[in-house]
Amino acid sequence: MIKNNFLNKINNSKQSYIIYKTTKGFNLYTDFSSKIILNNKNIDKFLSKKFKSNKNYKNTDLFIGFFGYEILNNLIKVKLPKQKNINFPKGIFYKPEKKITLKEDLIYYPNKSNKVNKNFKININKKSYIKIFNRFIKKIRAGETYQIKICTKYKNKSKIDPLDFFCRLSKTNLAPEAFMIKDKNFSIISCSPENLITKKGSYISTKPIAGTLRKTKKINKKKALKFFKNNIKETKEHNMIVDMERSDLSKVCKPGSVKLIKEKTVEEYKDLYHYVSLIRGKLKKNVKNIDIIKAMMPGGSVIGCPKISTLNLLNNQEKENRNIYTGSFGFIKFNGNMRFNIIIRSILNYKNISEISVASGVVVDSNSNHEFNENFIKAKALIDLYK
Amino acid sequence: MIYVIDHKDSFTQNIVHQFSLFDKVECDDLRQIDKSKLKKASTIVFSPGPGSPKDYPDSSKIYNRFKGKKKIIGICLGFQQILYCEGANIVEQKKIYHGFQSEIITNKFSNLFANGSKFKVGRYHSLKLKEPFYAKNFNVTMRCVKSKVAMSFENNKDKIYGFQFHPESFLTINGNLLIKKNLIDLKI
Repeated sequence: MIKNNFLNKINNSKQSYIIYKTTKGFNLYTDFSSKIILNNKNIDKFLSKKFKSNKNYKNTDLFIGFFGYEILNNLIKVKLPKQKNINFPKGIFYKPEKKITLKEDLIYYPNKSNKVNKNFKININKKSYIKIFNRFIKKIRAGETYQIKICTKYKNKSKIDPLDFFCRLSKTNLAPEAFMIKDKNFSIISCSPENLITKKGSYISTKPIAGTLRKTKKINKKKALKFFKNNIKETKEHNMIVDMERSDLSKVCKPGSVKLIKEKTVEEYKDLYHYVSLIRGKLKKNVKNIDIIKAMMPGGSVIGCPKISTLNLLNNQEKENRNIYTGSFGFIKFNGNMRFNIIIRSILNYKNISEISVASGVVVDSNSNHEFNENFIKAKALIDLYK
Repeated sequence: MIYVIDHKDSFTQNIVHQFSLFDKVECDDLRQIDKSKLKKASTIVFSPGPGSPKDYPDSSKIYNRFKGKKKIIGICLGFQQILYCEGANIVEQKKIYHGFQSEIITNKFSNLFANGSKFKVGRYHSLKLKEPFYAKNFNVTMRCVKSKVAMSFENNKDKIYGFQFHPESFLTINGNLLIKKNLIDLKI
């Protein structure tokens, strides 16, 4: 039995730990016996690691952690220009020795140590946002990109209790790919809704989201579907993502095996409806995990399309390193199975600076005011935690 | 063997899988073209991609070299690339079709499809063929029902074919049939 004050205990113990959402509740991983800080040189070696698949397979036989945005670009040979950088690690993976199963209802009594600052600074004001937006619209007209996501970043100086933030966030925004990491000098809190890779045996699936609707009493699931279907902009964005993800999966899957299992369905979460598709394929023989990661990451739905030319357009425009944002968090099991999400709707707290990044899609009929506000709405759920 | 020349698009692998239903397929990035594969191929496919045909002089060179010698198929940018090499102007259009499903109709110039056949297809293009356009042995054979924009051409003498839409998209109904007509039925 897990006692009520378990989370308080582990939090007070000053140990590092990770919490990751499961279908029924959460898994907590701790007692890390190794920690691998990734860089452009050691990532190949880390991902090519062969694990002994022994018979006494334990549920802690895995590496859990994240890839930042920059290292994923580097993996597919997309170069980033010189950017403002806080020197946060490009990726970290941990080997846990202990796994604890938690219920969905997280019980934690926070210490009153939060020194939070309510005010956030945005890195791109409305005027410069509109400038970037108009430049990208021209690129869309010229065919250089079909869809592109402009990222804005909110920052402030705060000392936070990440577990308190995560528990509160999970109460208002219980997301299927939610996770948190608490390490000595940083923490990450995320309510990511999006699964990028689920690999079990020789099957792999991805579940892109394009389209989000806030739940109200008036809107049921049926009405949400109608809303999405009638919304031409959301539908076009979604179609593009589906074809792109089919193509990304096809890089590593057997010809003819990539199937659209769920086409544009609505999934209901605590506060939101998401417009979701599910695509699955059977892996080619001899495909390695590194091939899969190169094929799928960074996740297309948060970048735009086509991926490479759009990444180049984005990177040349962005003055600040994205750090974890639009990277991926998840695990690689020693038996080869993997689960990875896309890191969005997240807070990175490093050296007592919190940063929240958000992005929204520009397609040709987007409106710059609307998209700028959309970015703020996405950030607000996280900013509201600083009260 | 079919050789797909990839213009770094995010849809190219869908084409590779679709064409694999009919023959062995090889695919390389335009900047890493393998000359022996190019020689060996019975069919060359120019993939979709960002930008416009003038950005890809190497693809134009390949086209001009193998025109009339091998079967050539162009999709989206590839369609425009071929027409551009034949002297066409490729221009921006007012309405942009990215992720659109449209209805298209074949005309009497098609050798492959009965006149008046309709298809639902997926489109990803901001540029189009400027018309009128004339080139020897080339005929526009499909058009968008609504906007009348050129959606495919056939040059049955030199076995050159192109689609402005994406036969590999999940938005295209019976896309495999379209490709089969181009690849298999034409062998006879």
